[in-house]
Amino acid sequence: MIDEKILVRRFNRGSKDAFRMLYEKYKDDLLGLAITLLRDRSLAEDVVHDVFVSFAGTTGSFHLSGTLKGYLSTCVANAARDRNRSRSRRDVGLDAAEGMHCDSDDPIEHAIDSEKSGRLMQLLGHLPYEQREVVMLHLHQEMRFKEIAEALDISINTVQSRYRYGLEKLRSIMNSMVTK
Amino acid sequence: MKPTENIEEFVRLEKPCVTTGGEMDRRTIDDSFAAMDETIRAKKPSAAGVILRSRVARLAAAAVIIVAVGLLMVYRNPPVQPPPRTVGTAKSPAEMLTMISLNIAYRRGGIEAVDEQTSKAFEMLGSQSATVSIHELLAESNGV
Repeated sequence: MIDEKILVRRFNRGSKDAFRMLYEKYKDDLLGLAITLLRDRSLAEDVVHDVFVSFAGTTGSFHLSGTLKGYLSTCVANAARDRNRSRSRRDVGLDAAEGMHCDSDDPIEHAIDSEKSGRLMQLLGHLPYEQREVVMLHLHQEMRFKEIAEALDISINTVQSRYRYGLEKLRSIMNSMVTK
Repeated sequence: MKPTENIEEFVRLEKPCVTTGGEMDRRTIDDSFAAMDETIRAKKPSAAGVILRSRVARLAAAAVIIVAVGLLMVYRNPPVQPPPRTVGTAKSPAEMLTMISLNIAYRRGGIEAVDEQTSKAFEMLGSQSATVSIHELLAESNGV
């Protein structure tokens, strides 16, 4: 496995192979993030596409200060927020879960994975966009609160409160599901 | 474990299981490569750009420019050398016109220096009346 920094350096020198390796490494993760945020696979694919094309356009001058995963996740989150604002409000509901395709070859494992993904999507779908964004960036993209605050241009206190409210809401939803 | 941690663990472990489709991969890769090509074409470095990329080359280029400007200035405005000045060592016009004094002046600045020294001596003498008394003549020649 080639080190990410070496890949970024090669990409900066115009290597398309390096770009392809970076794309292969992060595409699924970023698509998962975009789908969770937008709850629409088609929109999410557009967002990931745009983020990678925009990233490719920085070849020769790209400067990585943190991790590439954090940088790309931030780009996806920002692009998803823009899409979310611009699109008309419509309830996608559980449809997003239908867009999930799992890697697993084993049908049973595939079914379990799909069910788990669908369940999480369903849960996160109940959260307001801002809370869902912070929860996803922190728990799935492994970004720290400080990084999220800088990326979203909001205060760290806002990030923490959105995260806390998001988790509380998730817990209450899960409790209500158990008691049903 | 706190309830919050339970939720965190649940969300963390249940990552959405998503893969991109072949069509999306192809579209994204093609468009990205096109964007890379466009950026590379736009940023094609000029000769000056290549030179300025290296720090040493940058310093060398700066030194060459400074030397060139210096040479140009010297060529355009050559420094004016002051003419050699004859130092008058004689105190009186009579001393200035002695053979030794004139010889020294000749060695210092050639016939021009001798001419200058004699002119200066005559200037110091000033205009003399046409008639000179014997007493004055003797006094002059005796240096009294």
